[in-house]
Amino acid sequence: MTAIEFKRFSFAYRGKGNVLQDIELTVPQGNFTVISGPCGAGKTTLCMAINGLVPHYFGGSVAGEVQVAGCNTLKRKVSDLALQVGSVMEDYESQLVAMTAADEIAFGLENRGIAKPEIKIRTEQALSLVGLSGKESSEVGSLSGGQKQRLAIAAVLATEADILVLDEPASALDPEGAEELYALLHSLNREKGLTIVVVEHDLSRVLPYIDQLVIMDGGCIVKAGGLEETLSQIYSDGKFINYVPAIYQLKFSHEKMLASRLPDWRTEREALADLSRLLVLKQLEDPKSA
Amino acid sequence: MRKLAPLTKLILTITVTIWAFIMNDNIALAGIVALLAGTAAVSGLSQKQYKAMLSLAAFAAILVAFQYAFGSGVQLSLAAGFRMLIMTYLFFLLLATTRIQDLTAALVVHCRVPYDYAFMLTASLRFIPDLLAEIKAVQEAQACRGYSNKGNIIDRIVSYLSIVQPLVLRSISRSETMAMSLELRGFGNQAGRTFAAELTLSAKDYVTVGLIAAGTVVILSR
Amino acid sequence: MLNLENICFKYSNQTVAAQDISLTIAAGEFVAIAGRNGSGKTTLTKLIMSLLKPTSGSITFRGENTKKFSPADMARYVGYVFQNPDRQIFRDTVALEVAYGPEQLGFSPAKLTLAVEKALQVTGLEAVAGAYPRALSKGQKQKVAIASALAMEPEILILDEPTSGQDSQSGSGLMELLAGLNAGGCTVLLVTHNMELLAKYASRTIIMDQGTKAYDGSTRELFSQARDIAKWGLREPATTAISRALTEYGIQVTEDPRYLAKCLVDLIGGARHA
Repeated sequence: MTAIEFKRFSFAYRGKGNVLQDIELTVPQGNFTVISGPCGAGKTTLCMAINGLVPHYFGGSVAGEVQVAGCNTLKRKVSDLALQVGSVMEDYESQLVAMTAADEIAFGLENRGIAKPEIKIRTEQALSLVGLSGKESSEVGSLSGGQKQRLAIAAVLATEADILVLDEPASALDPEGAEELYALLHSLNREKGLTIVVVEHDLSRVLPYIDQLVIMDGGCIVKAGGLEETLSQIYSDGKFINYVPAIYQLKFSHEKMLASRLPDWRTEREALADLSRLLVLKQLEDPKSA
Repeated sequence: MRKLAPLTKLILTITVTIWAFIMNDNIALAGIVALLAGTAAVSGLSQKQYKAMLSLAAFAAILVAFQYAFGSGVQLSLAAGFRMLIMTYLFFLLLATTRIQDLTAALVVHCRVPYDYAFMLTASLRFIPDLLAEIKAVQEAQACRGYSNKGNIIDRIVSYLSIVQPLVLRSISRSETMAMSLELRGFGNQAGRTFAAELTLSAKDYVTVGLIAAGTVVILSR
Repeated sequence: MLNLENICFKYSNQTVAAQDISLTIAAGEFVAIAGRNGSGKTTLTKLIMSLLKPTSGSITFRGENTKKFSPADMARYVGYVFQNPDRQIFRDTVALEVAYGPEQLGFSPAKLTLAVEKALQVTGLEAVAGAYPRALSKGQKQKVAIASALAMEPEILILDEPTSGQDSQSGSGLMELLAGLNAGGCTVLLVTHNMELLAKYASRTIIMDQGTKAYDGSTRELFSQARDIAKWGLREPATTAISRALTEYGIQVTEDPRYLAKCLVDLIGGARHA
């Protein structure tokens, strides 16, 4: 089942040139897709094309179509789409509209006429999923940046959307916070089957979780595919070599020089283990080379 | 006071305000002030809030002094002071003992205020701490570039532009994000809206409203 | 040049943000200040800039106590670049924006023009000198903020997470710019939690943890021993971890992935996989 499909989709904001050009992209259900690329490449616009704000909120001109769960986004209202696509925007602080955490989560549900007891249950569940249990009456203003972000995610989870789109969610977080966030997204992906689409600059943060990697530039998708194939393409290309995480740069240059394959590492620990193993093997073969 | 439904508190606030303006007996007005102060005392407010109430009382005393100094006579001056105090204490108690969402909900459900307007209340309150933090951040950034609040009044206003402009621009972009967020969460569709707030009326509420009604009758008949 | 002695700082709500911090910054250093969010790293830089006043202890700049200085006074010697350039950009062109700081400091018109030109040149913004700053990309806006600080001709440059939220390309560009400035004699204090950049560019690292100084020393040394930096909320960059592992085999390497790779290749050579 395909969650999201872009079919030759192009978009231009009112009075401007094309921000997205002929986008062809498929995100299968339950996939963890990461989108990367330089500023202005169109990544945020792509996210908004999934939740329908592009084009319904912004106007502008469209070519091609975007299908979410089998339906054309052009034919659906933004608030309807939002039942299936939960969005956490880059400026997540401004996304929060209510005074307390519970109200924030209740807001979207109230607008859809969901009954009070149901709202209470979903609020509790959502807060516990993101690790904010018991914070129902906390004021939004008193939460830390990381907590506000998790609140935004909780509000989206309570709507029971099965696609989550996050635009640079870790940019303001420290390494620990980023790790926790992505671990949370990963568990939502694996345990609840949610389809995750994330825009992230630092690929080493999401390395263990990527199913599909998409690199954008100038409104087009430059490369898209599985982790290893996409990274090796970028590496050989050279233009976006900075995006390739250090251990993969190591891996590819090693493979190039020795014409032998190394495994597809997902974490530094794996990389280290493999490299150490190879060194030990080498030492056993030729003890004098150390 | 906390335990009353928001609607009851709204009715109370408005009715007692009207009482204050109908009644002319200073003893009765003083009595109401005492009653309100007593209610505040048992309502479990914070230190800060009690201090605020004391300041309001001090302010009222100043008002009385001014009125008297301008020749209004003892009775009128006192009445003015009491009325001011009654109104401010009422609204203060209302806001201190009621959650904004409950108030908003009561306004929409019971008083038929359109949701969009009631929501403006919550939204602005929600953003006040953010705005204050933003002002501080902009001031710090510009201070590090040499901005200082010195010179004559014209100079100060002109240099304050370096604070105001980024703020305004930031606020615009924040409100755009908020508008998008509202759109995504079905804000436009108000017909079927439910409220998670507690709006049900209990016995206490009916008793209170009953008392208020009785009180009004008594006052009007005087 | 800059001396902090037993600095303590408490917020009005009694949270302790700095506890007994003492350190010295010499001219020409490139120091990274790292730590998890809330550890006190930004508080430290704000204390240096006099945006906050220590509750006890003293800060001296070239022997003079900075107690009476306002941030505007410190701006003569220290340029502070905040994380979010949107909070300070307000003029219509980049050149005018960059001119704001020196104007406030009272530069003469001739000196001002020169300072602005130089700042734009060093940051590579000459081409966009007449552009509307708010329309620029995040990376470029950050450069405008840096140019705005440079135009005031500071001796110390403090930057709070300048590369956050930027793509790797602009991030590296920014760091190269800072390295260049440092080579030219500017002291750089960089608050960051991007460990890879820290490892590559900062010769000295200070790690803050819960308001105290948990580490203050050479960056090399920080990574050359298997320190548990995770307890400080940080993550070791892959290259230093691997370099350190290699050191256990008696090999000294750099952290640059390209050389690391070659080193590994030389070592492993034609070893077959098990």
